[in-house]
Amino acid sequence: MSRRNKTKESSYLVNRRAFMKLSGSTIALLANGGLTRKVVAAGQKRKAQPKNILLIITDQQHINTIAAGGCRHVRTPALDRLKRSGVSFAQSYSANPLCSPARSAVFTGRTSSECGVHVNGRSIRSDIPNLGQWFSEQTDYETFYAGKWHLPRSYSSTIPGFRVINTGIGGFGYLCDTVMSRACQGFLRNRSTRKPFLLAASFMQPHDICEWLRLNMENPGRLRYPELAGELPELPDNFEFDEHEPEAIRQRRAGNEPFRGKGKWNKEHWRYYMWSYYRNIEHLDAEIGRVLQALEDSGHTNDTLIVLTSDHGEGMAHHQMVRKSSFYDEAASVPLLFAWPGHISENGTDTTHLVSGLDIMPTLCDYAGIKTPPNVRGVSLRAALEGKGGLNRDFIISEVSSNTSRMVRTQRYKYVTYKDDPVEQLFDMKNDGGETKNLAASSAHAPTLSEHRKLLKDWETRLHVAPNVPNTDAWRYKA
Amino acid sequence: MAKKTKKRTIVGSPLTPELLCELDAVRKFPRPSEDFDPNGRWANTYRIWTCHGYRQSGNQDVGFLRITRSADGSNETFTLKAYQEVVETDGMQNVIEATIECMNNQLASPTQWHLSSRFFDAGGKIINDLATDEKGLIDANVMSIKSSHHTLKREVARQLTCDWCLFEAVQRLSFDRESSLAFDLLEGLSLPKEDQHLSHRGVKRIRISDEEVSLHQFCQLGRGVLPYEYWLDDSHRLLAVITMNKAYILDEQAESIIKQTTEQLRKSYRRSKNLQRK
Repeated sequence: MSRRNKTKESSYLVNRRAFMKLSGSTIALLANGGLTRKVVAAGQKRKAQPKNILLIITDQQHINTIAAGGCRHVRTPALDRLKRSGVSFAQSYSANPLCSPARSAVFTGRTSSECGVHVNGRSIRSDIPNLGQWFSEQTDYETFYAGKWHLPRSYSSTIPGFRVINTGIGGFGYLCDTVMSRACQGFLRNRSTRKPFLLAASFMQPHDICEWLRLNMENPGRLRYPELAGELPELPDNFEFDEHEPEAIRQRRAGNEPFRGKGKWNKEHWRYYMWSYYRNIEHLDAEIGRVLQALEDSGHTNDTLIVLTSDHGEGMAHHQMVRKSSFYDEAASVPLLFAWPGHISENGTDTTHLVSGLDIMPTLCDYAGIKTPPNVRGVSLRAALEGKGGLNRDFIISEVSSNTSRMVRTQRYKYVTYKDDPVEQLFDMKNDGGETKNLAASSAHAPTLSEHRKLLKDWETRLHVAPNVPNTDAWRYKA
Repeated sequence: MAKKTKKRTIVGSPLTPELLCELDAVRKFPRPSEDFDPNGRWANTYRIWTCHGYRQSGNQDVGFLRITRSADGSNETFTLKAYQEVVETDGMQNVIEATIECMNNQLASPTQWHLSSRFFDAGGKIINDLATDEKGLIDANVMSIKSSHHTLKREVARQLTCDWCLFEAVQRLSFDRESSLAFDLLEGLSLPKEDQHLSHRGVKRIRISDEEVSLHQFCQLGRGVLPYEYWLDDSHRLLAVITMNKAYILDEQAESIIKQTTEQLRKSYRRSKNLQRK
């Protein structure tokens, strides 16, 4: 039986645990098919449930790219509006700062190594349900998908658990997002207000910066558009890098365009790259604005929980890095915003909690009033979002491609380790947010280093890593 | 047996008409036509080509845009029609049709329009629940866009145009350094993008297919867009618009090329579905 058929049958059923809590009369009504799961849920005095869910995923969005969040290089009216209408997390990390692995974590709540998505272009292991499959089985939400998927194909008209309303176009954000947002606009405008939906709108921008890098690899020696000279953003304070970084980071940097052309980039070219990235952000913002406007036009705004996140960030010249696959905050941190009028406070910034892409699935399950799939590694952020309590969590973990590296982020420190590399990194994020002083070799920080190693080891022993993922033993036994 | 990997070379420099030729996106631009009158009636069809930044792979034609200009009898306004097809993965497709009444000013500022957007699935069937129709009107700096259930009103700048109108307007500009425009853009007749500047950059002699041609360049910079470069021939006909990894290339064959591409994508999608069923 297909999952979709199961959904239709199960929409009048409740799960076993919920059934045990029901009164006799309710059970009688259920037996007659007279109660939907929703009515039963109301009878259980469950927490408020948004009628619809709109999950917006962006691609390669640096956490500090929203004007309302303090970024003075962009105009982002749509993202500003979204930020002001809900709560954003300031300490939010990608579960794996690379496209497919990060997306596997967002859509399952499991680590990328558990999903079997340790590199780009892999499918999520078939025994782990994705968000669409889980919601189709467990809820009355109809599930829709638009835009980039990348698990395994970047763009696909067939995604398990979802009706795909728009596929997007391979790798071309500007065009892809314009078409995709128009599809979402049509969907929202034409959608009846009666049927609940979960729509994942997955934008490609600002990922076009990858194409920009390939089309601007050679340092032109002079600014192509001289009139931009006064507009270029300043280089970040941590533009310089530590020459004693782990080998993997040095190799990644050397392989990137700023170091691959006929001559290294000059500072002006770095600044032009940042300027270009910000224009991609503004393009993204306009397309998100079209979707949010359609949501409003069609009367869905007050009924809809909106979530926005990105798969990973962007190097943005910090440590002279570009792109992703690094644990420096620029690539590893991602925006994470939640908005639901009347339920989530407006214009809030949570600077307290450490959160991860792994938390999106459990949070959405919580809002939908359903249990999470088994072995989910994230936690629901609902209590934190609604100011009803903290998260029972001291640290988060992130992995990186090919399962060769790990990051442990605690409130004070960031610890990074690479397979077969004796150089570890430990940064005091409170006093050195730019990650410029590696404390791993400092004897004063030896106990801290040891604590972080132990946190990682304990975490690894709990994971059910997919059989196709390499290097697993490296983490199990790394002391 | 070891898997053969295709070597890919990074393009390295921003796209230019010469690079479009090197990358096989352009074989030849049409010769300047003495009959072409930017102020008259004409239709230009552009193939939409996109580039991943590699020389050998990933670059593809993804759609076409046809701009048709017709005078409406008065000197104050004229009509532009924009028709765009974009083909997506698996042969899904978006078709946009817009009829725009433009002021006969330097910017071809839109005054009213009708825009429809239609989507087709991988089988070529229309997806009704994604269709949108909009009627737009700009009156005294207030824009209203009316869709099925809602009217959006927004203040707009006096100096306003849209991207499709610029394809027309740039052809009426003179080729001199004084030719510059400042405006806000209403991209796709819906998304406002502020503080745009379009200016003349001079003329370049370039070699294409053993032939030397003169191309006149305008450049547009502003919020929410990567730089747009407009390339025109001596008769003021717009031959190419290049922005970052996307190019609109004047090509009479564009429509048939894209129809073929769409059909191929749909065929291969059907084949993969059939294989999955087996």
